[in-house]
Amino acid sequence: MIRIVLSRLGAQRGRLLLTVVAVVLGVGFISGTFALGDLMRAGFAREFAASADKVDVAVLPKGDGERLPAGMLEKIRALPGVTDARGLVRAEAPLLGRDGRTHGHVPTQGFSLPTDGPLRRYTVLEGRVPAAPDEAVLNESLAEDTGFRPGESIQVLDAKERRHTFRLVGVVDVGIDAELTSRGGVGFLAETAVRMTGQKDYVEIDVAGSVTPAQVGAAIGGTGHEVVTGEELSSRLSSEAGADITMITTGLLAFGLISLLVAGLVIANTFTILVAQRAKELALLRCLGATRRQVFGAVVVEAALVGLVGSLVGLAVGLALAAGGAAAVNALGMDVPVEVSLSLRTVAIALSVGLVMTVLSALPPGFRATKVAPLAALRTEPEPGERAFRLGRARWALAAPSAVGGLALTVIGMRMEPGETAMFTVAGGGALTFLAVVALMPLLVRAFGLPTGGRLGRRLGLPGRLAVQNVRRSPRRTAATTVALTVGVGLMSLFAVVGASSKATADQKMFEQFPIDYRLHTGVTGRTIPRGVADGLRERDDLFSAVTSIRSVDAEFGANERMVASMTQGSLGIVAKPEMKHGSLEDLRPGTVMISEGYALRDGLAMGDAVPLKTEHGTVRVTVSVVYAGEAGMLPDILLPEADFTRYFGQVEDLDVYVNLQKGVPVSEANDVIDTAVADHPRVQVSTGAAMKAEFAKAIDMLIGIFAGLLGLAIIIALFGIVNTLTLSVVERTRESALLRALGVSRRQLRGMLSAEAVIMSLLGAVTGVLLGTVFGWAATRSLFTSFVFALPYGQILLYLALAVVAGLLAAVLPARRAAHAPIVESLSAD
Amino acid sequence: MTGIASSPPVREPSPPAPVVAAVDVVKTYGRGDAVVHALRGVNIGFARGGFTAIMGPSGSGKSTLMHCLAGLDTVTSGSVLLGGADLTRLDDRKLTLMRRERIGFIFQSFNLVPTLTARQNILFPLELAGRTPEAPWFDRIVDVLGLRERLDHRPSELSGGQQQRVACARALLSRPEVIFADEPTGNLDSVTGREVLELLRRSVRDLGQTIVMVTHDPVAAAFADRVVFLRDGLIVDEQLRPTADGVLDRLKRLENA
Repeated sequence: MIRIVLSRLGAQRGRLLLTVVAVVLGVGFISGTFALGDLMRAGFAREFAASADKVDVAVLPKGDGERLPAGMLEKIRALPGVTDARGLVRAEAPLLGRDGRTHGHVPTQGFSLPTDGPLRRYTVLEGRVPAAPDEAVLNESLAEDTGFRPGESIQVLDAKERRHTFRLVGVVDVGIDAELTSRGGVGFLAETAVRMTGQKDYVEIDVAGSVTPAQVGAAIGGTGHEVVTGEELSSRLSSEAGADITMITTGLLAFGLISLLVAGLVIANTFTILVAQRAKELALLRCLGATRRQVFGAVVVEAALVGLVGSLVGLAVGLALAAGGAAAVNALGMDVPVEVSLSLRTVAIALSVGLVMTVLSALPPGFRATKVAPLAALRTEPEPGERAFRLGRARWALAAPSAVGGLALTVIGMRMEPGETAMFTVAGGGALTFLAVVALMPLLVRAFGLPTGGRLGRRLGLPGRLAVQNVRRSPRRTAATTVALTVGVGLMSLFAVVGASSKATADQKMFEQFPIDYRLHTGVTGRTIPRGVADGLRERDDLFSAVTSIRSVDAEFGANERMVASMTQGSLGIVAKPEMKHGSLEDLRPGTVMISEGYALRDGLAMGDAVPLKTEHGTVRVTVSVVYAGEAGMLPDILLPEADFTRYFGQVEDLDVYVNLQKGVPVSEANDVIDTAVADHPRVQVSTGAAMKAEFAKAIDMLIGIFAGLLGLAIIIALFGIVNTLTLSVVERTRESALLRALGVSRRQLRGMLSAEAVIMSLLGAVTGVLLGTVFGWAATRSLFTSFVFALPYGQILLYLALAVVAGLLAAVLPARRAAHAPIVESLSAD
Repeated sequence: MTGIASSPPVREPSPPAPVVAAVDVVKTYGRGDAVVHALRGVNIGFARGGFTAIMGPSGSGKSTLMHCLAGLDTVTSGSVLLGGADLTRLDDRKLTLMRRERIGFIFQSFNLVPTLTARQNILFPLELAGRTPEAPWFDRIVDVLGLRERLDHRPSELSGGQQQRVACARALLSRPEVIFADEPTGNLDSVTGREVLELLRRSVRDLGQTIVMVTHDPVAAAFADRVVFLRDGLIVDEQLRPTADGVLDRLKRLENA
């Protein structure tokens, strides 16, 4: 039996090739994800091991944000056997960009750089390490972002916001230090680092020499810190980094599973078609004495071999993908050594995933193969795909409850209080509905041909009508082919709808309810803008129609500590136009408070509640008199009247300042005035409303772009499915094509017919996906937030459909060529 | 009925000029040692309004001859003239148009497009050509062939005889210059086969249709006006107004020769 399987595999190499491709792509994604994780972990481990070589003992503070007192270092240095000990200083030291403002949203870190001795830690990429108090280095990512080169002067703020000028002498690689890589780091001599950051305590003390952690621990005494060996330090750091890797690979894996699901659909469909085409051959085997079991085994063994070959190639593809993935992760701002490594685990996962998926997909067709009666070998076959179609009981049994359950869950989810639970309910509903659509897809395919009887049919011409009939002739096969595409396109449409809706919501929430032209802020929690800045701007009422100060304190409000805020009284209703749930802005009188609906729900507050508020002068009770709709956007959750706030908490500095322009004033003049006002406060960042809007849109677009890229593979696999189905159909219809050619169908028309078939299939899949994605995108956004604005990304959706048409045309190229160039006479007598 | 002598080839076909003619047609397959000479220089013409049967033992080249005459297969050398054009000089597009507009086909089996109804199958070549069928002609053919009740059925819902009659209707409807029939009764029982052959003969007699039929069945050949015998790629004999017994005799002699 095995010999028959093998000989058949050889004979059908062409037909199985596309199946192998589907396995390769699915397995490639999964194994690529694992290999990426492996190579990142391996790279990190190697790097840590290298630095751990130098450190014999390390002292770390216990708890987040804690530091080691400076005096500790002297005690350690005094220990016999210690050859070197360094305290690492690290705290905020904002680098100023070329525009004289602090670089980035989050200020850069200043850090001490051991420049000599065994504990020299960082690799110099360019230039050298600082040797004098007025010299500094940048880490690689910061040098890239700012464009500063060694030899230039840079300015850095100290803890008291005074500017200091340094000469940039080099660029260093800080390795996998996530904090320095993401925020950017400026390296100084140890003393300079202390002076700049105002922080003389250490985040870590590294010790070199022949001492044990116990000896070091005994020497420094006390608690609040832990002493570890160099190896422990490195494994701890690498497991921290490993958590990031796990997060990345888990995310990738989710998309990998989607690809795998689609590949499974394609493979199941291919085997189903192959079994149908081979019914006669299988029947002959049965005639010759093969048992049902052997026939079943033949199909499954064949699938296993296909799965094995596909998995092996997929593994190789995966390794290549991982190298590319590492490069992509680096492009996103991480620093990962790109070096492919192959772990036994990745090999095992790739092979078993590929094998299990392929064999599972081949089980139903294999089972069907056993139902072929031996007599079928002797009968002339009916015309392909011409058996009457009826939706099987199994399909109804799957479709009916899924459809009912899915729609019910969706409706329930949308009637629930908006939030995560509601969204997950809707998501569950979406998944069930998708299942129902999968089961009912053959009916849709059947129904699809109906309108072509009329005018549309005449429009399409004869080849077009034949194409429609061909698509409809085996509804199950067409359905299975198109559903694979529905998965990818559906998810992509879903993300596009959610993204477009987020943008529209942000537009409305932030930019319509909060129409501001400039926002002044520091980018750091707790850091404020001196009141003088806003006061100065208020004097220029020829330029500015409103200058709004937001001030806040953390205070006990009700049972919890909350951020309690105020806003310049005159700006309410003009600069901030929140949608009201209960009450109106006039109701915000002394002794009352306005809260967001989201906060009211979370803390169980309602209109008229008198909430205790702990102030500087004791606890007062404030009455909830206004509830505004939605969650906090740019408006604080808890807003007190400005006069009350000042009375309760005194002269608090501004957290944010919003500036609105008078109509018709020159923007350049306003820019100049604002620049001058913040010139002495380099930490204050100025962003324009337009820039904020663009930035938000860009962030969303990038997210959608990443999702689209990751879903792209699932879509490509589905397209291979279309090529596969079409190729097998062409083989199956060899005689029919020859008949058409004999009757006067030109090669062009034949190619046109097959292209039309492919386009119809891909459009069926894409349109179903777009519809499902749009509906559930809408439901999901509605269930997540109360006042979500729904937006349909027409452009993107039209693009998806246009791409589906193009993809269909591409999918048809090879099968159509094959059909058009088949010799007529031989094909007419083909079996 | 003007016949043409069998081989040795006759240089000049008798008037009126034949609708289809093969001139020195040679067809070989393969190369070197494996070369097969399917046709070794065939000269033959088919007059308008004639019903000719091509016969010969298996491997005699009768099907190859028909495929070459119909523009379905290419010739190695020689030419095939159809309505004044040399088929061997046409490119695929012109050849396709030729088949679509001037040639009708009836095959042994798998004659119909399975996804189309009987009516759509009958109209297929006309629709391809963008021509509107003449309603009275369509009605007449459908009625003569007794297909009126089955027009909206798919091929899978028709019996073998009905399928073959649909194929005949399709071939007749566009009034092609010539209809090629390749074992049209090969898959039918004798009663149904007889019906189909009667039909072909009637279309020649009543409608002036030209038909060339390949068959190995002497009874079928007896329905033709003329039988041409092939052996080893050459035309070796012909009979006018054949009878089944006469054809059978001739075949036996051919096979034993």
